[in-house]
Amino acid sequence: MPDPTSAVSPAPPERGPRPTATGPGRVLVAVYAVFALAATSRAAVQIATDYYRAPLAYLLSAFSAVVYIVATVALASRGSRARRVAFLACSVELVGVLVVGTVSLLAPQDFPRATVWSGYGSGYGFVPLVLPMIGLWWLRRTR
Amino acid sequence: MHTGLVAAVVTASLLAAASGLVAAVRNRPPGLITLALAAVAAVLTLIQSAAAAVDLVRGHRPAELATSIGYLVGIVVVLPLAIAWAVAERTRWSGVVVAVGGVTVAVMTARLVMLFRGTGA
Repeated sequence: MPDPTSAVSPAPPERGPRPTATGPGRVLVAVYAVFALAATSRAAVQIATDYYRAPLAYLLSAFSAVVYIVATVALASRGSRARRVAFLACSVELVGVLVVGTVSLLAPQDFPRATVWSGYGSGYGFVPLVLPMIGLWWLRRTR
Repeated sequence: MHTGLVAAVVTASLLAAASGLVAAVRNRPPGLITLALAAVAAVLTLIQSAAAAVDLVRGHRPAELATSIGYLVGIVVVLPLAIAWAVAERTRWSGVVVAVGGVTVAVMTARLVMLFRGTGA
């Protein structure tokens, strides 16, 4: 602890919004990382064990895993390119959870095996539905 | 799953989470106690996965073998990553990061117990 005054909040430069991956943004990245881990493991297990039972659902699992990984890395990185990628990933995620959630309720026979986005993420406390909204909101508030 | 180990993992990870949240509420970065609790929980998690792996090698078959292996592997990286991510920026939010890691490990452990009892779906 070289400098006691730097122990709390090395405040970001006071002008303009803060960088995305600072402060509360770090919690957002952490939660995204948890879902990247969950979706990746789920997809890996599904594709490795019985891919042919529900290829569409399993490919969607893999797709959601990629989206979460890209979103995690992009939200944790600095720069305008990372920001654009993060916007895109969060948007795709929001569309994905809404479309897959709706289809999994209307046509459950097409989704015999669950993905992270099935039932709007009900298997994960609906966090997959809320997360992209918070992500997009946070991206708007930061630079 | 070994009941004593499970209890130790859940206790340590939830204590680390609570400690991280207390630091956040007090607007302080997570202190030595929080980080030490998280480190202890991380080591216990590793022991828990190793012990479960031994059970698997000895022939115990949980409800979904592949899923169980995924959880046993995935759970050991959560707290080390959370600690590293929390230490990289020392603000109140780092305590919340530790809390996210701790709660995740507790939830994953509960899921593992269900899988190993054969009641997991």
